[in-house]
Amino acid sequence: RVRDYLSPVLKESKFKENGTINPEEFVAAGDFLTYKFPVWSWEKGDPSKSREFLPADKQYLVTRGVPCLRRATSLAYTDADEDAERLLSFGDSSGGSDGDEWVETHAGRKPNLDSAANPGEIADIPDDSAHDDDLATGVEGISLGTVPPTSEIPDIDDIPDMEEEDLEEGDEATAVMKPTPNVVDASQVEVATGNLLQVRTYDVMITYDKYYQTPRIWLLGYDENRTPLTPSQIFQDVSADHAFKTVTIEPFPNSASLQAASVHPCKHASVMKKVIERMNNSVVAEQLAQQKAPKEKKKWPFARRTSGGKDDKTAAGEDEEVEGMRVDFYLVVFLKFIASIVPTIEVDSTTSF
Amino acid sequence: MATAVVQFAPLPSLAHPSFWHRLTQLKLDVLKLSDAHVDINATYRVGRLIHDRESGPGAFIGVGGSLAVEEDSFDQAHPVLAIGSVAAKGIVKNYNTIEEFRTADKSKLFNEAADKIWTSIQTTRSTAFLNSFLLITFADLKKYRYYYWFAFPAFTSTPAWHIDVDPGWIGTGTSESSLDDAQMNSIFTQMKSSGILLPYFLVRVLNGISIGRLEDYDPQTDTIENTAIGFVDPSAQPQNPGWPLRNLLAYLRTLHPKATYKLRILCWRDADLPRGNEGWKSRLGTIFIDPQGDPVGSPSRPTAVGWEKNVQGKLAPRMADLAPMMDPVRLANQAV
Repeated sequence: RVRDYLSPVLKESKFKENGTINPEEFVAAGDFLTYKFPVWSWEKGDPSKSREFLPADKQYLVTRGVPCLRRATSLAYTDADEDAERLLSFGDSSGGSDGDEWVETHAGRKPNLDSAANPGEIADIPDDSAHDDDLATGVEGISLGTVPPTSEIPDIDDIPDMEEEDLEEGDEATAVMKPTPNVVDASQVEVATGNLLQVRTYDVMITYDKYYQTPRIWLLGYDENRTPLTPSQIFQDVSADHAFKTVTIEPFPNSASLQAASVHPCKHASVMKKVIERMNNSVVAEQLAQQKAPKEKKKWPFARRTSGGKDDKTAAGEDEEVEGMRVDFYLVVFLKFIASIVPTIEVDSTTSF
Repeated sequence: MATAVVQFAPLPSLAHPSFWHRLTQLKLDVLKLSDAHVDINATYRVGRLIHDRESGPGAFIGVGGSLAVEEDSFDQAHPVLAIGSVAAKGIVKNYNTIEEFRTADKSKLFNEAADKIWTSIQTTRSTAFLNSFLLITFADLKKYRYYYWFAFPAFTSTPAWHIDVDPGWIGTGTSESSLDDAQMNSIFTQMKSSGILLPYFLVRVLNGISIGRLEDYDPQTDTIENTAIGFVDPSAQPQNPGWPLRNLLAYLRTLHPKATYKLRILCWRDADLPRGNEGWKSRLGTIFIDPQGDPVGSPSRPTAVGWEKNVQGKLAPRMADLAPMMDPVRLANQAV
């Protein structure tokens, strides 16, 4: 916390050089994200926790109820999967794209535990003690600290005599939500209705981390009964490489009391730098191609020429120069990176973009 | 022709951890030992179909929208509505002890909440309270445990609403549907441009599509042929409309008993324009009740149901255990 306070606010734009962004760029990228993907919105948070280098009404970004269909720990990782990286198209919906792709790892990977067609097993979340044991053996050398003894483990049946059957009569018009076989509806969309109540959801927040000068992601999870997830349950949705190492439970900066799981941002800048370099190269190539053939102008998302923002001065003076990837796109790219850490939480709503 | 009773998908509740934090603060600083009820706001959103990438193209998983309360719920101002969300008003009553929570006269509280909805239909003819709810709580502050029980009072219909099994509820924007793709686009655009999504609305098809307030329903001109009754539907089940439709139907039956034996219902489930070839998610169905069995002119309040069931499917409260996320001792152990 202290170094966060002491570190100066980044002023210049360094996202291509270092993979970092300044608060102004964070706001620009956030505006772009909320504009393109309205599931994201700005929040003001607790006013007493407001960060002065961000606008009061744009303290952090949030999207709620992000589905998490299965557990990351249930995904099989094999050597074959490592080779199965596949290039994903990463262009604009109107233009389509070639030349710019994104590596999706574990693309063809099959879950080894459950599937939409087999909803029963998703619900089968082991209770805390059993699960802690699993993790303790699974994640070698990392201690969970003291695992609470069984007697302390909360039991949802704590108030068993509170069932009040006579409170209301059975009602024929109330649908019973129980697993049913897959239903093919009129438009031939297959709906696995059995999973209706069996899907975890997450509230996902993005704050700006002043010390690391990158965005930082926070997760609050709920189980299929919409009960808040415990930390050990949340770690089931973090890829094994990151659970307990880069993902920890910490106080959420824009709230006086909330705790949330967060991906530690120490590696964000270096990863983002590499990704941005790759993308920038292909964006530049695309833009050069555009200049040669102006008639076939594509709507290219990285190169939107908007008014305002610091890029104007480059645009004005060196109009012939290509500007490459714009910082507006930073968070869209960032979410794709985060998706590799929490592979089953659908934080990246931009895949069909 | 085979018919089936229309079955409504119950509205699930979701209490954000920040809601419990705020309730704790309120209890310690403002309410203290008072157990007077407090007005709160909540939101619910359209049911969604989530593409399941692991199961290949065309596989979708339905995720129902839940009625969510959070930190902002105590603020008087309208909550910020996320895309595809609508607001609902309710009250929370927090008890001081688990005994009081256990022995509270829940039927009385429930009936008071249902009466309030019924009165609003009769007197103001407004839809503003149709989706109102009740929440009772007990906060065990030492253990970071919150016991709670939501109720979403919904009036039952006697006789019950029915739908023809074939075709049942059908997808919109297709050729079989009475609302084609262009009409759905028009509805979507109009709803979006109006800014705030209305929980209930009319879709009139007369020289193009227009969206109207439900309060403006006119039995003379709004016939089943040219008007559909729309509502923001938190259900994601293909053949089950969501809970909020129940009070909407009670509203229409009460105020326009002669004209509403048969209605065309639009279950609005599209927060976004459809992507690719996914198609529209909203559902359309024609439902009816038997005019013979209907006691016309009965002014008394129908019975209401709507206590939320717990995780085991019983009529009993739920508990949120926030100790793993709040207890300083356990958090310290977590931080390795």
